[in-house]
Amino acid sequence: MTDQRTDALRAPMAASETWSIRRLVTADWTSAVLALVFVLAVVGVFHPNFLAPGQLINVVQSAVYAALIAAGLVFLIPQNEIDLSVGGNYVLTGIIAALMMRSGFNPMLAIGAALAVSMGVGLLNALAAVVIGIPSLIGTLAMSWMLRGLALALAGGTQVTGVPLSDPVIAFLGGGRVLGLPASVWLLVLAGVVLALVMHRTPFGYRVRQIGSNPDAAAFSGIPIRQTKTIGFVLAGLMAGISGIVALAFFTVGDPQSGGGIELFAVAGAVIGGTPLAGGKATVFGAIVGAVLLTAVSVGLVYFQIPATWAQFATGAVILGAVSVDGLVQRQRRGGTRH
Amino acid sequence: MYALQAQGIAKAYGGVRALKGVDFAVRPGSVHALLGENGAGKSTLVKIMTGAVRPDTGSLRLMGAETSFRSTAQALSKGVAVVAQELSLFPHLDILDNLFPMREPRLGPLIDRRRMRDLALPVLEELGIERRLTTPVSALTLAERQLLEIAKALISQPSVLLLDEPTSALEAGESERLLKILRILRTRKVGVVFVSHILEEVMSLCDEVTILQDGKVVLAQADLKTLTMPDIVAAMLGTTGEARRAERAAVPRAVPARPAVSGNGLKVTGVSTADGLSGVSFAAEPGEIVGLSGLAGSGPAAIIAAIAGLTPLTGGRISLPGGRDRSPSFREAVRNGVAFVSGDRRKLGLMLDKPIWENIVQVRSVGLARDGGLLATGTLRQRAARLAEQVGVKSPSVLLAAGSLSGGNQQKVVLAKWLDCGPTLLLLDDPTRGVDIGARAEINQLLQQTATKGAVILYLSTDLEELVTSCDRVLVFHRGRICGELSGPRLTAPALSHLMNTGEMTEPV
Repeated sequence: MTDQRTDALRAPMAASETWSIRRLVTADWTSAVLALVFVLAVVGVFHPNFLAPGQLINVVQSAVYAALIAAGLVFLIPQNEIDLSVGGNYVLTGIIAALMMRSGFNPMLAIGAALAVSMGVGLLNALAAVVIGIPSLIGTLAMSWMLRGLALALAGGTQVTGVPLSDPVIAFLGGGRVLGLPASVWLLVLAGVVLALVMHRTPFGYRVRQIGSNPDAAAFSGIPIRQTKTIGFVLAGLMAGISGIVALAFFTVGDPQSGGGIELFAVAGAVIGGTPLAGGKATVFGAIVGAVLLTAVSVGLVYFQIPATWAQFATGAVILGAVSVDGLVQRQRRGGTRH
Repeated sequence: MYALQAQGIAKAYGGVRALKGVDFAVRPGSVHALLGENGAGKSTLVKIMTGAVRPDTGSLRLMGAETSFRSTAQALSKGVAVVAQELSLFPHLDILDNLFPMREPRLGPLIDRRRMRDLALPVLEELGIERRLTTPVSALTLAERQLLEIAKALISQPSVLLLDEPTSALEAGESERLLKILRILRTRKVGVVFVSHILEEVMSLCDEVTILQDGKVVLAQADLKTLTMPDIVAAMLGTTGEARRAERAAVPRAVPARPAVSGNGLKVTGVSTADGLSGVSFAAEPGEIVGLSGLAGSGPAAIIAAIAGLTPLTGGRISLPGGRDRSPSFREAVRNGVAFVSGDRRKLGLMLDKPIWENIVQVRSVGLARDGGLLATGTLRQRAARLAEQVGVKSPSVLLAAGSLSGGNQQKVVLAKWLDCGPTLLLLDDPTRGVDIGARAEINQLLQQTATKGAVILYLSTDLEELVTSCDRVLVFHRGRICGELSGPRLTAPALSHLMNTGEMTEPV
């Protein structure tokens, strides 16, 4: 603290926004990036193949679905709300788009309609949480079951085939490459840039973080809390829907049984990335890194020939470890004691 | 013409009439002090003038035109800014992001941080906030946050600025800066309302004064140059203070002889803490009720927290009754016979949704598990009912929720809960806050009984009259040190007020 003061005195109010080492090491997403580097290094030392560009691209590509969802959730978590129906939303969006395409609708129209449904689901979640007052943890959990059930019923319990693979949009989204990177990865980069801008440079992004940081002060400042939360729910729904469409384009079938646990994977990614459940802070970049980190762990475990039956256990243990380290670091920074 | 004028403002909370028809007005370019004892209605008036609370009757005029505010945000947009007691900053956001809530300058759909910086820098420099704009507010000291609140209000270029106890968290140097800022505000013709307990400061900073007492104006828009500090103290305490004192003196009280030093009391030796105490030493014997007094932030609350093990010591030693040293753990303190009654019942005292009996047995039987691992709820209820009757809780049943009780009865439940453990040291942090006079007398009588049974009692109160009637002696704090002790005939409210404001005894000890 003292050195910051003298710094400030030497150059009074030179509060530039340029990148500095200090900002890099204290950013909310720093620990997620370090953890990702650590995981890559550890696996890489024993199995250099893991660091081959093709393999790394594969890791990111399989992380895209959870990462897109996590990037939406960081607009809810800071407001002390959550959406556990994003997994169900992801499945339902894919099924609806697949069914419409099979029935002969134009693929773009099908995608548009499916995304509208995903936003509608977000609006319903907002209605339950903001207007009726159901805690979003339980409200969206119920919604999650409804959506998965609806997807299963609409699909008749089986996979939905008949996605027109010849359609240029579907083909590009599922298998296209630009500058060596899959189209879905480019989509993630684009979404990340846009959402980070929204989070850190628009009034809406400010509202999101202010509401969780100090709810009383937010009300006192005249911040429209309900409206901000509603937009957050709709955005989280939309990102789940986009993720579902990307998955449909890649797997080319709508599978009502897919995406089990993807919502928790996304929540864990967001939290590890530096968006605490306690609210007030958010980082879109961190959420994406967090999702990639978790994917890298589960892919990395395969290299260590951990039997598939134990992979899930190991992933859980790694998540617990990562969150514990983060919790300890945060407490150290606060310098607070527990009572 | 007045910058802001309130006429005939009345406001009642439940049955309590906080304001009974108050007129108040502040001129542009004038710093107007609003004074009064705790509960006189200052905060309510401030809240009404800033849109946080709507009055039952009465009207507001802004620059001569009738107006009303639906919210603080609307008041702000009309030019009435407030620096509130409860800080309203966003701890996770950085300095710059905190300065423009809902008013961020924009560039198309995006926030224009460059303009925010340009607008903020001169104000921050004027206030002497020497921090990077990207520093999160959680990393700032309390004093810096207070300055930031002031900066936030100034940036909105208000025509009226209300400062509600702005200096309680500020250090000496920063108060000087405030003085400079007030000078600037005067030249800019801003009407400033200054609420403070620190009379010294009021005398040096303000031009005019209005004093409230029991929800009424007793001194309106008086020129401060014509008044002395004793005049103001007399006006604040007023005649009703005298009456209340007489009323309380009628309560029979067994005055214990000053107990001999038993070696079994509380000993505080050279205690310093990070929250402002420096070298505090005193001792208190079983059977004594020792009052603690001082301006907010001067030390009485800090010493109670230190003794209870809530804050770490940076120096010195505290030995609890019974001889054990205090450890930096509240739970350990409770095990060693420390009881803590806070005036903040809703937050620290009670679980309002739980039945009365559960609240009463909470510390001894649940927290400390002194009655074994299996709770015999029937027996516990009976014990709680007995205790509730002893302390005089007025309720048909201990099965009712604690939240159904009045403030005074709630506080009696808190007392019962701690008395259940047979404390050897009772710490009271403003226990009668928001408690009506009848219940206050009963609570004070309970304290006398507890002291007689051999407990050490430390009694912090912001109500000076109460300290005078209830305590054997009162330690007065000033800037983190004990600046004097009053007892016997010299223990009077004006003497306490003088001592806590100046830090100097009026006559030689």
